[in-house]
Amino acid sequence: MTTLVETQGLTKRYGSSRGIDDVTFTIAEGEVFGFLGPNGAGKTTTIRTLMGLLRPTEGNARIGGLDCWGQSTDVKRLVGYLPGELALDPSLTGGQILEYFGHLRGGVDQSYLKQLIERLGLDPTRKFRQYSSGNKRKIGIVQAFMHRPPLLILDEPTNGLDPLNQQEFDRMVNEVRAEGRTVFLSSHILGEVEQTCTRVAIIREGRLVRVGAVTELKDIKRHDVTITFADAAPVEAFKALAGVDNVETVGDGHTLRMAVSGGLDGVIKAAAQYRIVTLISQEPSLEDVFLRYYEGDGKAPSEVSHVVH
Amino acid sequence: MWFTSIYLNTVRDFRSAILGWGVGIGLLMYSVLAAVSTLDQTPAARATLKSLAASFAWIAEPVRVDTAGGYATWKYGFTILVMALWPILAGSRMLRGEEERGSMDALLSLPRGRARVALEKLAAMWTALLGMALLIGLLAAASGSRVGADFGLSGALLFGLNLALICGVFGSIALLVSQFTQERRIASGITGGLLALFVVVDMLHRVIPNTENISRLSPIYYYNLSKPLIPSYGTDPVAMLVMVGLSALLSGAAIWLFTVRDVGATVPLPRWLTVPERALRPERALPVNDWSLRSLYTRNLAKIVTPTFWWTVVIAGFAAWMVFIVEQTERQLRSLYESSPFLASLISKVGGGDITTNASLLSFMYTFLPVLLMAFAVTQASHWAADEEDGLQELVLATPQPRLVVLLARFGALATATVFIAVMTLALTALASKISGLALDGGNLTAASLSIIPLGLLIAALGYLLSGWLRTAIDTGLLSFLLVIWFFITFVGPELKFPSAVMHLSPFYYYGTPLVKGLPLGDMLLVLAVAVVALVLATLRFMRKDIARQ
Repeated sequence: MTTLVETQGLTKRYGSSRGIDDVTFTIAEGEVFGFLGPNGAGKTTTIRTLMGLLRPTEGNARIGGLDCWGQSTDVKRLVGYLPGELALDPSLTGGQILEYFGHLRGGVDQSYLKQLIERLGLDPTRKFRQYSSGNKRKIGIVQAFMHRPPLLILDEPTNGLDPLNQQEFDRMVNEVRAEGRTVFLSSHILGEVEQTCTRVAIIREGRLVRVGAVTELKDIKRHDVTITFADAAPVEAFKALAGVDNVETVGDGHTLRMAVSGGLDGVIKAAAQYRIVTLISQEPSLEDVFLRYYEGDGKAPSEVSHVVH
Repeated sequence: MWFTSIYLNTVRDFRSAILGWGVGIGLLMYSVLAAVSTLDQTPAARATLKSLAASFAWIAEPVRVDTAGGYATWKYGFTILVMALWPILAGSRMLRGEEERGSMDALLSLPRGRARVALEKLAAMWTALLGMALLIGLLAAASGSRVGADFGLSGALLFGLNLALICGVFGSIALLVSQFTQERRIASGITGGLLALFVVVDMLHRVIPNTENISRLSPIYYYNLSKPLIPSYGTDPVAMLVMVGLSALLSGAAIWLFTVRDVGATVPLPRWLTVPERALRPERALPVNDWSLRSLYTRNLAKIVTPTFWWTVVIAGFAAWMVFIVEQTERQLRSLYESSPFLASLISKVGGGDITTNASLLSFMYTFLPVLLMAFAVTQASHWAADEEDGLQELVLATPQPRLVVLLARFGALATATVFIAVMTLALTALASKISGLALDGGNLTAASLSIIPLGLLIAALGYLLSGWLRTAIDTGLLSFLLVIWFFITFVGPELKFPSAVMHLSPFYYYGTPLVKGLPLGDMLLVLAVAVVALVLATLRFMRKDIARQ
């Protein structure tokens, strides 16, 4: 598939303070790409650099082969953008805002616009200052989608939306993907990313720590295995196994809990030597994978510098 | 320590302002006090200074202007009230700004009452004002001591305190007005207008006899009752108490209104003061088909329509009124010319002709037009800077509109507004001339009215340029300061025999006296060229800068 978004060593520094450092990734056409990270990790800085609002200190970013800084006007013809913090003229109504931005984008399909408004249950007659935070978000979402851009860049799009509207938003993203268009979506709501994205990147303290397909990230999973034995749990038999960590007994001493990285073959073979009552293996969610990168002393595990394209 | 209370945190937010305004105004006092010794070295120079001050009594009451303290008090008269811009901004942001940002909800989730939150913020503003007053007083005292002035440290500190008190009054007005407005900008705009109005009301009794009772309605009147830098005049404790009482009353009313209204809402105004909103069914809301939403330029034009209307009323109305009253004024001044050769000289020099002609006097008064237009341009340049800080440019710049177009569309709307004001000024003055029967040269009247345009564009372009680096408050403060300095150079400089190079620094110099001598085409082209250069530099900066958010 053709690459639509490409960053190479993208770096942004604010004086002595950190912005983003050496961020490199690509997004292919038709992908829904999730950008995960806690607050202040550098998600918004990356997005604002892609939008040509910030000038990279080093490296470059390209959208559709166009330089995001040098050719930002042409880049923006390809993009629908929803900023993390929406600031619009408080004295205009929702309808006026959408019409204004429609004109600035060279016109939009009015029937599609009305359809979006209806789907999100937005009242366009009210002034922006009178909207709740969720309704302000809806205005932002509609203005990003309304011109059917080939690429949507959405910074924490569902912040403030109620669950019903979040579901509607997920459906809208899926439709965009079905049409072969591309979505770059930052979030810290992992369930949302897991549900809508094909690939994800994890950013931490301004540096990308992992990029890969959602399934690939799950592949480095660490299963949580709980085995209940008929007799006392043989702790030592499992401690020595490769890929097994945190072996501990729980309850009456018949149950063992452990974390297993990689395959479960060794653990099952070792367990087969004893009488087993139950064996439960829990596959980690993307949330578990994500939290691994931020656990402990806050340092990413050594393998995280590996980037899967 | 700074984050242990709302009060301390707000004081911390004000630290740059305390330093900036305190040291800025303090250095201004320092420089003027240091300069006074060069102005009154001879009896003749002293006499000129006294005569000059008497003729400029509308600026401030001239008291012992041949002393360092007297000169500084008179020279900065009302212009030092530029410092009130800060409390106006701070007062309108204090509660309304927090509500606009949505941070008031978080503050009110603390186990503190609304009144306590508001009082802590108000106390922080007063702390900041007193901090500024201290810096101003110390710098004035240091300079006074250096030139051997007859006021001491206590006088200098009282001068600072007096200034802080009047600034506090305007901060309190802004706080009260903000209870009635949805946006802090509207509150600061209205209070800024009130500041200008109160300056004029206070001025009245120094210009027109028997109007002291009207002037008493202005808080500035009470500020001027104390002149702590002039020991023989001294301080009026009652006047100071009036300002304290006024602040307490206005702030108290504002805080009470804040405690009884909904957060995020305004105090309801009577129906006759509100504009009814049209009820529209959602399905009919689109398309809006509003002319102002078609482009960046038309949107910017729509945003500027209301302030343009009011400034047109002020500027064109002022010009037309001058045409009506010029003959009567000229008769009244004739006797004054005989007793004050200085006034005759001033009007002749600034007005650019024979004092016995109406045109010269009108020309003198016409020199205020570019000042007013430039003040309008400063407010608009300030909005440009504020929009970026408030994040309003973010989505506009996410559309395929080049930054060059975004800036030029905004500047174009401002240019259109300045042209409109100038043309309306010409139309109204021509009409007034016809009605009053005052014969004026049509060409010169056109030149005098339209020549204000390049000056408005110049200061706007400078504002756009400075906003490339500076925050809104500093940008606006610097532009206002420039305006005050230029005004002083042009109006007082000729009599103080400022060097020609200094006189050339003021754009008003290039405006000249078009009502008498016609269009100074070369000078206007020069001003226009500087404006264009500033605009080009502002554009280049805007095209290369990171778009900031507050």
